[in-house]
Amino acid sequence: MYTKVILVKDTDLKREDKTREFYTHLLDYLRGSNLHAQIQVVRVADIGVYDEGLVLKILPDKIVYCNVQDSDIKRIVDSTLDQGKVIGDLVFKPKAKQHRIVLRNCGKINPESIEEYIACGGYLGLKKVLGELGQQKLIEEIKISGIRGRGGAGYPTWMKWNFAREVESAEKFVICNADEGDPGAYMDRSVLEGDPHSVIEGLIIAAFAIGASKGYFYIRAEYPLAVERINKALKQAYDYGLLGQNILGSSFNLNLEIRLGAGAFVCGEETALISSIEGKRGTPHPRPPYPSVKGLWGKPTVINNVETLANIPAIVSNGGKWFAQIGTLTSKGTKVFAVTGKVKNSGLVEIAMGATLREIVMDICGGTLSGKPIKAVQTGGPSGGVIPEALLDTPVDYENLQKLGSIMGSGGMIVMDEDDCMVDIPKFYLGFCVEESCGKCAPCRIGGFQMLVYLNKISEGKGKLEDLEQMRRLAQAMQKASLCGLGQTASNPVVSTLRYFETEYNEHILNKHCPAAKCNSLVTYTIMGDKCKRCGLCVTNCPVQAISGDKEKGYLIAPEKCVKCGRCVDVCKFKAISKK
Amino acid sequence: MNKLTPSDLEKMHKASKASSDGPKDWIKVGMSSCGIAAGAEDVFNFFIEEVKKRNLQIEIKKCGCAGACYAEPLVEVSVSGLPPVVYGAVNKEVATKILEKHVISKMLVNDCIFEVLG
Repeated sequence: MYTKVILVKDTDLKREDKTREFYTHLLDYLRGSNLHAQIQVVRVADIGVYDEGLVLKILPDKIVYCNVQDSDIKRIVDSTLDQGKVIGDLVFKPKAKQHRIVLRNCGKINPESIEEYIACGGYLGLKKVLGELGQQKLIEEIKISGIRGRGGAGYPTWMKWNFAREVESAEKFVICNADEGDPGAYMDRSVLEGDPHSVIEGLIIAAFAIGASKGYFYIRAEYPLAVERINKALKQAYDYGLLGQNILGSSFNLNLEIRLGAGAFVCGEETALISSIEGKRGTPHPRPPYPSVKGLWGKPTVINNVETLANIPAIVSNGGKWFAQIGTLTSKGTKVFAVTGKVKNSGLVEIAMGATLREIVMDICGGTLSGKPIKAVQTGGPSGGVIPEALLDTPVDYENLQKLGSIMGSGGMIVMDEDDCMVDIPKFYLGFCVEESCGKCAPCRIGGFQMLVYLNKISEGKGKLEDLEQMRRLAQAMQKASLCGLGQTASNPVVSTLRYFETEYNEHILNKHCPAAKCNSLVTYTIMGDKCKRCGLCVTNCPVQAISGDKEKGYLIAPEKCVKCGRCVDVCKFKAISKK
Repeated sequence: MNKLTPSDLEKMHKASKASSDGPKDWIKVGMSSCGIAAGAEDVFNFFIEEVKKRNLQIEIKKCGCAGACYAEPLVEVSVSGLPPVVYGAVNKEVATKILEKHVISKMLVNDCIFEVLG
């Protein structure tokens, strides 16, 4: 029986993997000191530490050593393993750590079991609210916590609740906004699928705070599993008397229902979402009146994002002060990001506000997949902006990201390396917004389309320098005059790339050259004679027969036939095809 | 089902907490969209079948996504006497190793552990 386990992994990507070599050396030494029957050495696939040489993790003591050399084996075995002493100079000092509040139960409990949620302290927050706190104190507690809406705009949650509470009305509503539509963002889906009861508990507490007796989950239909799990969870909650009449023996009643979104991005905007629930076409309305005063069917309505609601039970259980300790001066608590793009470990990361983008991308997610340097990070989805590498040390909070020309948004984070073109990226996002624009107001409908026309021109090499100025003017008009958030923020990707990467735009316009070789019209493929081994693989794989020649004379790509699909580059084993 | 009262809730919380702290062995498979897309359902069913076939005393559980989407399907294994660990990119082959080495012989499996969750 082993008493200790040592996990081993070489995290230096610049050299050959030394994990196996070190593993053997360590095993040999353990055999020599007759410890091999008590200590198991295990090679692991990922040790959670990156770019720190050879990393050892000793369990169950949880000691992590980094940059370990072969010569350290003796002292590690003799002092740490034998005598339990920690070697100071080898200890790994973590730079960034995840802090899990929203994802506290995700991956831990069975999402289809209310018993497991209760075992982890679930619904005790609700009990506290109904039994001890009452409306006034609850809102006070939320105010102390300083939590702001996690859906994007960052409006203080307590203010929303308080407005709705103060309005006299026989009927009030709560809505959970789970219409997560940003490309590359899926935090809400994971919470709904991994811990549905925490969101339900949050929504019940919100309903109690404002005195609502009816609530809705607005979930996009593209999330069938999330819908299924929320459905199951709602049924369990009804069975246990946590929903319905006289919740937990009190006089508080609440009924919750699911409404499915039909796939329009704009329905994530609260006034459009309300129209959609009412059965009307999902288009936004001018505010004020705000939904907290006049919302669903003209009644006071509070709409909160999934992540905001999942925070609420934790805040109630642990107190507002506890929550307010986490984060920065203006942004409290944690934020979940869905880190995707050219990053090694894509996935969900929950960090305390104030951690830097570099910590998230480099220390937690292990840097770029290709090992190439980061060019920029895009946050906030189609409403957000691009943050260049030089500014990655900015601490993440609502204000800082806004200053950089981006937004927190719902939490999508897309990492880009030098193979990404800064004209192509805003083209993608703007294209998305143009497609999703509801068409109700002219600035968004026409402005977005015109801006996309300019971007297309530039990426085809037909742009002029005046176009940049024109795009800036259009962006300003859209920001000022659009009806809802979609139009007001749709130009952000363009504005931020213009701000940080104007040289790249100029390169496209003046030199008809795309530095990242992304814009097809500006790229030519050529076979480099000196590297080509004349295997003919590109010829057989070219879908349009644009490559001619034979094994004797070598091969040539005919530019007029080439459709620039990139297949030849993918199949060439000798990297003999250049793309410039 | 009886409707809960506040004291019932407290009781349930304490009782289930006590039982979940016990020494029982379990295997948890991450079964959110990301895990299922990567093949978690097959792995889950495979574990259930094999455990029955081999008559092992271990519980197979479902859970949500733990966040390390790049390493799905994720499987967490807790066996008494060994530290709980997370295996990543689990397929039937790795699952067999987990049962034979980790669960039966009480040894961690090489090259499959993802220690990303701290």
